[in-house]
Amino acid sequence: MQDKLSFKKEFRNRTIFRIANYIFLGLVMISMVIPILKIVSDSLDSSATYGMSIIPKHLTFSAYKVIFTSESLYRPFLVSIYTTVVGTAIGLALTTLGAYVLIQDKMPGRKFFVWMVFFTMIFNGGLVPTYLVIKNIGLLNTLWSVILPLSLNVFNMILMKSFFQQIPESLFESAEIDGCSPMAIFIKIVLPLSKPAIASIGLFFAVEYWNHFFNFIMYITDSTKFNFQIKLRELVLDSTGLAAATSTSQTVSTSAIQNASIVVAMLPFLIIYPFCQKYFVTGITMGAVKE
Amino acid sequence: MVKKNNSTQTLSVLHKWKKNKKITEIFKYTYLYIMFLPILIVSIIFNYIPMAGVRFAFYEYTPFSQPKFIGFDNFKTLLTSKKFISAFSNTITLSFANLLLATLVSIIFALLMNELYNRFAKSFVQTIIYLPHFISWVVTASIFYMLLSPNNGFVNQILGMFGIDPIYFMADEKWWTPIFYFINRWRETGWGTIIYLAALSSINPELYEASSLDSATRLQQTWYVTLPGIMNTIIIVFILNLAKVFNLFESVFVLMNPMVVNSAEVIQTYTYKIGLQQSDYGYATAVGLFKSVISMVLVVLANNISKKIKGEGIL
Amino acid sequence: MKGSFLKKLCLILTVVVSTSNLIACAPKNFSTEKGTATTTTPTASSKPEKITGMFDTILKVEDGQAKVVEEFKKQTGIDLVITNPIHNQYYEKLNLAFASGDIPDVVEMGGTTYSAYANNGALYDMTSLVEKSATIQKLSTVTMDSEKIGGKLYGVPKASGNGTVTYLRKDWLDLNNLEVPKTYEEYINVLKVFADDPDKNGKKDTFGTSAAGLFSDDPTTTPDIYLREFYQDAYPDFKLVNNTWVDGITQPEMKPALERLRKAYSMGLFDKEIITNKTTNVRDKFYSGKVGAMSYWAGTWSTTLEDELKKAVPTASIVAIPAIKETNYTSRVPSVYAITSKAKNPEGIFKYLLEYMHDAGKGELLFSRGVENVHYKVTDGKATMLTVKSTYFFDPTLTISQFKDPAIIDPRISKSTKIFEADSQMAKLLPASAAYTKTGVDLIQSRKEIISKVVIGQMTVDEGLEKYKKDNQVIVDAILNEFNVAK
Repeated sequence: MQDKLSFKKEFRNRTIFRIANYIFLGLVMISMVIPILKIVSDSLDSSATYGMSIIPKHLTFSAYKVIFTSESLYRPFLVSIYTTVVGTAIGLALTTLGAYVLIQDKMPGRKFFVWMVFFTMIFNGGLVPTYLVIKNIGLLNTLWSVILPLSLNVFNMILMKSFFQQIPESLFESAEIDGCSPMAIFIKIVLPLSKPAIASIGLFFAVEYWNHFFNFIMYITDSTKFNFQIKLRELVLDSTGLAAATSTSQTVSTSAIQNASIVVAMLPFLIIYPFCQKYFVTGITMGAVKE
Repeated sequence: MVKKNNSTQTLSVLHKWKKNKKITEIFKYTYLYIMFLPILIVSIIFNYIPMAGVRFAFYEYTPFSQPKFIGFDNFKTLLTSKKFISAFSNTITLSFANLLLATLVSIIFALLMNELYNRFAKSFVQTIIYLPHFISWVVTASIFYMLLSPNNGFVNQILGMFGIDPIYFMADEKWWTPIFYFINRWRETGWGTIIYLAALSSINPELYEASSLDSATRLQQTWYVTLPGIMNTIIIVFILNLAKVFNLFESVFVLMNPMVVNSAEVIQTYTYKIGLQQSDYGYATAVGLFKSVISMVLVVLANNISKKIKGEGIL
Repeated sequence: MKGSFLKKLCLILTVVVSTSNLIACAPKNFSTEKGTATTTTPTASSKPEKITGMFDTILKVEDGQAKVVEEFKKQTGIDLVITNPIHNQYYEKLNLAFASGDIPDVVEMGGTTYSAYANNGALYDMTSLVEKSATIQKLSTVTMDSEKIGGKLYGVPKASGNGTVTYLRKDWLDLNNLEVPKTYEEYINVLKVFADDPDKNGKKDTFGTSAAGLFSDDPTTTPDIYLREFYQDAYPDFKLVNNTWVDGITQPEMKPALERLRKAYSMGLFDKEIITNKTTNVRDKFYSGKVGAMSYWAGTWSTTLEDELKKAVPTASIVAIPAIKETNYTSRVPSVYAITSKAKNPEGIFKYLLEYMHDAGKGELLFSRGVENVHYKVTDGKATMLTVKSTYFFDPTLTISQFKDPAIIDPRISKSTKIFEADSQMAKLLPASAAYTKTGVDLIQSRKEIISKVVIGQMTVDEGLEKYKKDNQVIVDAILNEFNVAK
């Protein structure tokens, strides 16, 4: 498509559209950024921040210093990183394997597997029975009680399945004739062609694990195993949590620490997303079919 | 002579090939079953064994005593409670409208962002637009309460410039619902575009080239190439979100206040409040079962409709 | 197509049902007896080796919780195993623990949860132990009595429940030559000044007073704690009148109370957002120097409020005022440490933990101030705290025993506490009632809604009370019936 902005008659409508698009998206972006700027500004402000200003009145980085030096705050951060990385890896493994098996139309029992997996998305035994199961298999108070249940995500699996279904049949057939085992087809053909899907679903998992707090509350009693999101909730929702965090510094205002924690919770994804985006490139699937 | 030999040879070759094919099939299917095994194990342990607990919907199950079988009593309480019915209808209104808006708005934004050819601009916009998703609902609520504050909040300041008196938006039932939708869009649109952008990137560029040879305008291309190209994804995401319609909780919980309770109370917020007071797990399970059955019906219905129209569904 | 769908569904349901039969004994940890311990012969209680406890607002792990536990073991030889769930989810975890059979020996609980659990036999009846205990008999009678359920005691209160006292901006009073108000009329006048540029900065950017809602639905407090000056003798919940339970909303005093609130709101004395504020909002507004009067917890909070305020407005100062003539402050019923009915050695736990915590000596020092040289340092018989504000097991400034706190406390704390206690009345626990458990939530919701709508001006007071009666008569009557039988 044309890349130049030109007002020549045949390109005029297109150009007008593109300028309008830029303006519209620009306004939308501003509306999203301003509240975030306020949060960032509040995290750098040592006095109370009630009000609309997005510029700190007394600039200070001490809130961030407290977060990265206070053990009660950086340890949960590390726990979050651990559960997110491990969880996303396991989650992607299960999702891709599952989706791959579920697209095999000729496999006997396929429909049964689909229903079996789908059923768990809708029906749920409830809090107490799940708690009892986790207790009885000895995962209580371990990080696995958080990682494993979240790793089986039917929503993601069905999405992945629909992406896999767009891979042309002919590729599978030719691989089979060449004598490839299902695993080989999976690794050599399916995975490389599904980079956009894997990138986006990987992102979904990562965010789910990073923001998760419920299983921590229910299954984990050892507060050294809590993740950053729990700490964040404590800071924002409950005043008693602030004491521990602010005890090291009298000059940092409580609101600065709250806001700094919010920024720190957002930071990883600000950094990661640009890396994921390079997988959302057109035409990745297309080269393979041209034989 | 030779021909006849050839045909018997071919037959025996075919015969062997068919036997081999059966063996390879069995081998292949066993292989696949083994690949699926970890999913089966996780599913059985964390989903199916606890699912036995669904039977507690028919019990009275408090922390103080043995679960007591009471048949359909929990459901009777549910369906005769005026508050529950109102919560149910609010859930349907808020959740469905939200779902429709979400689908529409995210698709439109994905298409608009797709029109940015500057790689850097596209990347930049994508990152900024999806940031609000990372602000927790609690914080989002406090941001918007402040923006809409009747005490010189941003919006009221602007209205003031036009001589309009300050409006207490969040306490006004007729404003609360549209604002609820807006805040949801503000937070979730960027996130929602991710899956559609991924789908857009898997459309064959040859289709665009072919259509531009036919001198199609960009709008026509969008309608005849782009949308059909991602239609599968749209349908699947929609159906999957349908399954989650009754789980609406956190956004409502943080944004509601005593003035708007009548239109804001949804099933999850109501049962949460009751749960704190009552702690009857039987009742909670009954509510869960009720939601699950209805979600199941919705999804199967939507799936069958999609199969009829498009030939494909999620199941 | 349909056939195979049904087949699949049946198959799955069969799997579920058969597995459920296999797991039919899931809540195995439930015992069948309701543990209302009755006759426990007062023999010499054996010292327990281990005590498990679930606590809410206590010393956190990062503040040296382990040291306190270590010291306790050194002093008594007992292992104290602590579970400390996140404060916001404490009651959810508590209920889950009981339902799943992981019942600790000691639990911290308060309010209606305490009454409900006691009434259902989940807590050990310690009335006889209390009567025989010299230590516990020395604790504040008023506080102990407030915890009685049906005349029996199921827990020992941690400390005094504390309550809210009204703080005013002293600097604004001084700047405008105002005295501390002693009557409602004087109070309203003060608020009028506070709402109208009290700091003389040329901007009308202040609030007379603000609060986290007109009706607090925190189950451990009374609903009117933030607005005592306006409610006065009206009470927006069930209360005892001449030894009978009535609904305070329908009592005659409520009408003028709602009128007062309504008038104050329309005069602009309230922060307009008073209806939708959360406690964090109100505190933020106060810290930024915009609020003239605020009712908040007496004691330790007085220092936090002033210190944070000074960060934004260095010349600001606050003062806690005695209750105006027409009203008084409320001391809430404190949380208790209860022994569960599943505990194996209730007498031992009572003696070695609960009595020890309130012995006005070494035990109480450990649980309220922590460990020497870890949490505080002693010089000349006076202790200086080594860690900044952090709740221990309970706040020593709220002690209900004769404990002499060796710590040097900020004088503001004792000042506000004294002012509060001079004018405070003890709240009452609601009796346990199945009807209240079932419909209490709806009732509270309705009260909040109607009070909010009346005060903001959407309904007149009469319309509001009419609607309240219409919507809730049945529920209220059912609850009152049960209350008046139970007492």
